[in-house]
Amino acid sequence: METTLDLSRWRERPRSVAYRRWTIAQLGLRQLLSTRLFRLVLIVAWTAGLLIAASAFVFSQAVSTGGWLETYAAQLGPRFSAIASAIGALILLYPDICVGGLFTLLFWAQSSLALTLSLVALTIVVPGLVTRDRASEALTVYLSRPLTSVDYLLGKLGIVAGVLLLTWTGPLLAGWLLGMVLAPGRDFIVYSLEPLGRALLFNGIGLVSIASLALGVSALTRTSRNTILLWLGLWLIVGGIAQAPNNPEWLRRASFTYDLDQIRKTILKPADALRKAGSSLPLLDRNLARNLQTMGNAVDSGGAAGPLLGLGVIVVLSSAVFFRRLRPE
Amino acid sequence: MGLVLFCNFATVRRVSSENAPTGSTPSPLNSTKFIIETHQLCKDFGPQRALDNVTLQIPPGTIGLLGPNGAGKSTFIKCLLNLENPTHGTAKVLGRSIVSENRASRERVGYSPERDCHIGGLPGCDYVAYCGQLSGMSFRAARQRAHEILDLVGMGQERYRSVDSYSTGMKQRVKLAQALVHDPELVFLDEPTNGLDPLGREHILRLIGSLHRELGTSVVISSHLLRDIERICDRVVIIALGRVIEHESMEALASRHRRIVELAPASETERFAGVLRAAGLAVERLSNGHLRVESGDHSVEGLLRLMAENNLPPAEIVANPNALHELFLKSLADANHGNHP
Repeated sequence: METTLDLSRWRERPRSVAYRRWTIAQLGLRQLLSTRLFRLVLIVAWTAGLLIAASAFVFSQAVSTGGWLETYAAQLGPRFSAIASAIGALILLYPDICVGGLFTLLFWAQSSLALTLSLVALTIVVPGLVTRDRASEALTVYLSRPLTSVDYLLGKLGIVAGVLLLTWTGPLLAGWLLGMVLAPGRDFIVYSLEPLGRALLFNGIGLVSIASLALGVSALTRTSRNTILLWLGLWLIVGGIAQAPNNPEWLRRASFTYDLDQIRKTILKPADALRKAGSSLPLLDRNLARNLQTMGNAVDSGGAAGPLLGLGVIVVLSSAVFFRRLRPE
Repeated sequence: MGLVLFCNFATVRRVSSENAPTGSTPSPLNSTKFIIETHQLCKDFGPQRALDNVTLQIPPGTIGLLGPNGAGKSTFIKCLLNLENPTHGTAKVLGRSIVSENRASRERVGYSPERDCHIGGLPGCDYVAYCGQLSGMSFRAARQRAHEILDLVGMGQERYRSVDSYSTGMKQRVKLAQALVHDPELVFLDEPTNGLDPLGREHILRLIGSLHRELGTSVVISSHLLRDIERICDRVVIIALGRVIEHESMEALASRHRRIVELAPASETERFAGVLRAAGLAVERLSNGHLRVESGDHSVEGLLRLMAENNLPPAEIVANPNALHELFLKSLADANHGNHP
């Protein structure tokens, strides 16, 4: 027993629990960022963010006094100049409908794309959340350290939150901020805040429900292949079944994508924005007004109570699965 | 002449007196009187009782945890680490209650489980450093300690390879490294030498044996290899049927044991046996040609004197061979007959 242990001693005070949770999340995100598919997803997501900024910039520059639209219309003649002035006047008179409506539609489109991208990204992430830890007995490594199952949950939740932040919230906020930095007036900020708040609320609901489901699915099986199949099944197959209009409502509620879509319609209110534009704006073309009303009806929601209940059940079931399986075997 | 020759050839090994790290000095951190204290600890799995009123107070040191398969050793360790919730009773690890100070009770504790456990996709050094961070180390400190510990457990350049590609022996080494990376005061090792080649096993055993003596890190080692336990531990706990049936220091156990000496004479085995029998000692001839002698004496001095007086040829003498093994079997037999509380 002559072995000499030439070691540095670690006698510092251990860092906080928050640091340890962040360590878990950080590793998951680092591993995710090393995959090519996720980097591609990020490029698409951030391009969408830049498109929001570009749209806001073009819109604000186009309609402001002395902006592009007015200058360009003046070159085309008095009629076009008058139309440009009328549009400018509409925005001055109805900023809530024009600015608010535009951002509602932009955020509506972004949330749709970002939700899909998040689900694609989570397809890569889901097996790495709990499945691989269970398969390789790594749960023992975590839980034999100064961490509880709640710490482990929060660490893994951090990975999902990170994914959604990078693919959804980040591009949304960055796009809006960039658009506002370049906006010529305060109206653009004031009237885009409400749609932004609603978009963030939907983002939060999406985060809670998708994160719970991802953790539940990941905890359910012990092989990556089964976890991916289960995730895709719940997303695409159950989602596809829910799209069929003749299926009973309870069956449709079983799809988290269907529930989220309904909640998105209720929270972001694209139908209201379109209908308001059709009914309130003194549009020159009656057909355009009618079309706006029709489009509004098409994206109308059936209320949020049912979908919220559906998502609630999914969250509870997923959490139950997660905590039940979170025992080293 | 005979005695001189004997001294040249004889190899005397004594249980717990030379190899066991007695006289070790715990580090200042190891200030608690007992590293493990349990009171009527019970764990039921349905109708099956895996731990039955385990009441123990274990002082710092290197402790061997012995017991047959299914005795409750792993359950006991898991309960202390809160990987299993005890059904009844209380437990303290390093003076901290495992229930009321859940996280804190594991801050200075390391664990190397019997089964493979690793985080896939990580190189060995990243994995060990990550485990250090999970215990609250800063990245820099964890990285430094990870490399030092990996050097210590004998991992070379393979530390930069993914853990998934490791052999059983390498996984065993990296498992030990993750248990030690955060400089624990107490480390639980479940079958730490499984899957190691003889050289690796020797290296790891030496390392484990040095932990308490040099670093003050107490070790609870669960193993089926009684020789390993006998060699490196200064205390042993035997568990059977979920109950603690023995808890003693190796020294105390050795003194309780029958004085058995195994002799391997260089020649004249028959004369050897005759002289020993004539001296009133019980002698048994073993199949390998060795003689097994039972004596009431604590030392082998009497035996040496007898050999010198009768001009016997030199012999290898092993005192108390398989002492722990015999004690282990006896304790199990007693437990099965209900002789233990």
